[in-house]
Amino acid sequence: METIYGYAGKIARINLTDSTVTDVPITNYVPKYVGGRSVANRIFWEEVGPEVKAFDPENKLIYMTGPTTATGIPSGGRTVFTGLSPKTLPEQYTWSGMGGWFGSELKFAGYDGLIIEGKAKEPTYIYIEDGKVQFLSAEKLWGQYVHETQEMLEEIHGKDVKSIVIGPAGENLVRFASITTANDNAAAKAGFGAVMGSKNLKAVTVRGRGKIVPADIPKVLELRKTMNNPPMRLNPILNLEGVEAGANVNFKVPGGVKQAQVACCYGCNQHCDRMFLDVKSGTSRKKKNRVEKCVGIFAMDFTENCGWMPNQTFQTEQNHSAPCKTLSGDMEPPDMTDPYAKDLFNWRPADTVNFWKGNYDKGNVMMDLCNQYGIDKWEVTVGLFPWFSMGQKEGVFEGMDFGMPIDVESEEFVRYILDMLVYRKGKYGDILAEGMARAVRILGKEKYGDTIYHGRYSNVIPGKQLDIPICMETAWGEIFHWQGRGYQAAIDITGWLPCSLQLMVSSRDTQTVAHFHSTWDYYLAVKDDPYHNRLVPQAVIECETREDIKDSFTSCEWQAPDHYWPTMECEMFEAATGYPMTLEEMEEMAIRSRLTFRAILIRNYGRDREMEVNAVYPGLTYPDSVGLTADWDDWNDLVDLYYEERGWDKKTGWPTREQYEKYGIKEIADELEAAGKLPG
Amino acid sequence: MEKIQEEYGKISEKYCNHIVQYPPEVSLCAGCTSCEAVCAMVHDGAVSPSLSRIQLERGTVSMIHTIHACMQCRDHPCYSACPKKDKAMCIDEKLGIAYVNQEECVGCRLCVKACPFEPKRIRMNLDKPRPKAIKCDMCRTRPNGPACVEYCQVRCIGKSEDPVPVDDRGRTQGLF
Repeated sequence: METIYGYAGKIARINLTDSTVTDVPITNYVPKYVGGRSVANRIFWEEVGPEVKAFDPENKLIYMTGPTTATGIPSGGRTVFTGLSPKTLPEQYTWSGMGGWFGSELKFAGYDGLIIEGKAKEPTYIYIEDGKVQFLSAEKLWGQYVHETQEMLEEIHGKDVKSIVIGPAGENLVRFASITTANDNAAAKAGFGAVMGSKNLKAVTVRGRGKIVPADIPKVLELRKTMNNPPMRLNPILNLEGVEAGANVNFKVPGGVKQAQVACCYGCNQHCDRMFLDVKSGTSRKKKNRVEKCVGIFAMDFTENCGWMPNQTFQTEQNHSAPCKTLSGDMEPPDMTDPYAKDLFNWRPADTVNFWKGNYDKGNVMMDLCNQYGIDKWEVTVGLFPWFSMGQKEGVFEGMDFGMPIDVESEEFVRYILDMLVYRKGKYGDILAEGMARAVRILGKEKYGDTIYHGRYSNVIPGKQLDIPICMETAWGEIFHWQGRGYQAAIDITGWLPCSLQLMVSSRDTQTVAHFHSTWDYYLAVKDDPYHNRLVPQAVIECETREDIKDSFTSCEWQAPDHYWPTMECEMFEAATGYPMTLEEMEEMAIRSRLTFRAILIRNYGRDREMEVNAVYPGLTYPDSVGLTADWDDWNDLVDLYYEERGWDKKTGWPTREQYEKYGIKEIADELEAAGKLPG
Repeated sequence: MEKIQEEYGKISEKYCNHIVQYPPEVSLCAGCTSCEAVCAMVHDGAVSPSLSRIQLERGTVSMIHTIHACMQCRDHPCYSACPKKDKAMCIDEKLGIAYVNQEECVGCRLCVKACPFEPKRIRMNLDKPRPKAIKCDMCRTRPNGPACVEYCQVRCIGKSEDPVPVDDRGRTQGLF
């Protein structure tokens, strides 16, 4: 048999309604779409129409690896889920990335991905062993926490299996339920845990004894040493006096803190995750080890928001470093001979928000419960509990009985609220399980969402009060992220404006796989008038193209892109598959994937210019860290420039037939035209 | 730390130079599985946990992982058990360790049975038409030595007769 390099060769279509499995050749999609999110986009476009709702059996949960997964190429362990999300507002097609070791094990078992469709009659889990798929009863697993479920599956099938599981939140259709794998890696942002729950699917467990053959092993080994200059340093468990996570979360802990770094996915050459050892558990276990990247740190202390240093966003050839190194502390020391170094490393302080004070045990319990219930930490840490904190201070909850006095400083209150919403207990449990965006609409958005919190203060202009609504909602039901308001608000307008554009054309928060990055030259060119400079949409499009590349090939947000090594993913792809790919070809594939995604949003969910400019703009009327707000006309001028740069129709925001045909997907244009969704 | 340093870097009476996992005080395994990936690549030209001579036992929830590799027994019970010794299971005279010549291996599994450790440090390569034994050979023909050690990004594994590595780089705290 001819060796297939990089790929396993097929996708398993798993129908839970009739317990059937069909093999779908990966070549149905490759090479037009190379893997990961791009293939998933195409599958969803072909198979799920506009009439389907998130919890319908007809919704499909698509899981894809990429050609670099399980090849030993660093960051190839990243994988992606897509499907119709119950979390986004309104329900829209979206994606959710996940690291871990499940994707590589799936490839060793013979599959590049899964199409999970239908609905099982009873609680079920899927066991895949070397190409054989079984549907097994999840009766004993249903109701179990995430960690207990993982351990029970290992007891049943052996220590070497890898699993994706949901917790009670997914079973109870909590709209921000996550899917979790090893190391608490989770696909959390899209609520796909609840989609699994709606299908009566508790877990997928896999064991693979097969192999994946990279085409060019010397090149793979070379990439292991060259991709982001791996630190190759010891990783001792540090005994610290407290939490020391940069300038904003920094407090002493009685008894100290044990901390080390761990990797997040198969074969990575970095270790971006921060692990806290022997911390307080949220459940009956005595002690736990737990990992965090960024937002979970704020569960421990949310007195200040997150500050910003321009080099997190803007780079020069002399000073650029992978984001994973900013988390692990492995960043190379600044090169101060760089004429821009002083500005690049000029820390912009975070806003004071005073949500809650430092409490190591309470923060660990909050995050462990998120892990165990299987819910999105982001929604809990940046959405739910800040809402309680701000709303209580502004008096909006007076007369409401949650069953316990509101006290966000209290571990008991955290436990009580999370238990209430995960199990949908009582009126408020049921409402909060819908997620912040839907909950405040059920309660009454004007009061419970838009009431202004008067306790946010700038530290760039000391003492300046900055209004923010108690529900820090931006577009698509998401919470602000790198948008100058809400979480990571300290970024300046040259950063938050493009982040907002990225969000506008997406269906969920993009600053997880597409953190806005550009060069310092960009910053200098646009800083005086970012609304009317084409470099802004050009830089956004570059980031979006890179986003599709990362989620398709696959590579990792925390390692890529390297602005000064643009062909890195081309080299990864060729090492994995043996097929040379130019930068132009790679970008063409990414834009094809992007157009397919946009076509889904347009056909299925009525996406157009009016919908998206209005989704993002209201949030930009609140002040950033120096008090700047966006003007409606300026915002629309920028949107005009974006659509022009994309070659899309400015009036509707729809791509033209020429765009679809240019990227080889005429059939999509034909279908959109039949649906009246091509610009006239 | 001094006690730990005393435990390593010595010549053992029972075992030849072999791959060791250092205690977490020296370096905690990050769980990346790079050791398994590069091992299978340099030996078999593919990536597969089943082809790796080094095994990472994953702590899915605890995130504390254990590395298993051949202890390279000086009395070579695997070699003694081999019905085709010196053809299939051979001794590297320079290193003193047993290694498998897969072309001659008949797949009888007697070497696996003879391995005194659990999990067994010799496994069967089921990727071949006929199963073949595989075991760590310390990358005996690689100029750079064991690939798993070379590519371990946290240097949590090393050769038993080498001194415990020291943190020569240091680090600062992460941003958030």
